Amino acid sequence: MLFTEMKARSLNIVLLALIVGGSLLAGSYWVSQRWSARQMAASMDELEWLRQEFRLSDAELARVRELHEGYLPGCQEMCQQIAAKKLELETALAEATNLTEDVELKLRELGVLRAHCQSRMLQHFYEVSQAMPPEQGRRYLAEMQRLALGFHEQIEQSMSRTPAHEPHHH
Amino acid sequence: MQEPLDETKLSALLREARPSPELPPRFQENVWRRIEHTEESVAVSDTWLDRLATWVLRPQLAFALAATLVLAGAGLGWSRGEQLARSEAQARYVSAVAPNAFH
Repeated sequence: MLFTEMKARSLNIVLLALIVGGSLLAGSYWVSQRWSARQMAASMDELEWLRQEFRLSDAELARVRELHEGYLPGCQEMCQQIAAKKLELETALAEATNLTEDVELKLRELGVLRAHCQSRMLQHFYEVSQAMPPEQGRRYLAEMQRLALGFHEQIEQSMSRTPAHEPHHH
Repeated sequence: MQEPLDETKLSALLREARPSPELPPRFQENVWRRIEHTEESVAVSDTWLDRLATWVLRPQLAFALAATLVLAGAGLGWSRGEQLARSEAQARYVSAVAPNAFH
């Protein structure tokens, strides 16, 4: 009887210690993670990320910042044009009951705008990569192409895996 | 009037009146053996769980363990927070230069 009580007491102590220890670990992890994420986010704008990730010097970062600020207004303008063209296409689609010439035209125009936007974007990536040390530039270019163009590739790949889009053997 | 009994005679008479049973052979030795056996049983019941509980209740060790856990948690959390902030900054950069990727 006494031994059973002693065992239960020991078990309770060990369980309590485990709970307290786990809470300390989880609590300090949570507080520290939130605090560091907030601190870093406050001090890290998107170009600061670029500087840290690709180990840029101050001069390189200044050049990249110049390119970045020069590129953004044109990019925003292209985005507005694309959004306006999408709206036109949606209106044309809402009015049509068949594939009209107008719809086809809007689709082509939207495609041209998107292609133009992507060309400008790629041009910007090349310019930024050339402002970096060669090795970092190559890494930047690969990373940006993966992130910026990979989105469309993923969709195309997922579409090509469906049975209706089995690859053709010529 | 009767004479008072001699104390030694009285004791002898009492012993005869209430004879004590004979102890079994090696009685004392067996008693000691049983006492030792009981002590051994108590010692065996001190399992790893009891030892762990005793260890945990030591203030210095408990404090050291708590401090280690807090430091480990803070270190891991800090590192994870950095990673999160980096990925957020990366996503901000990509969405700034390539918004058409998300059209």
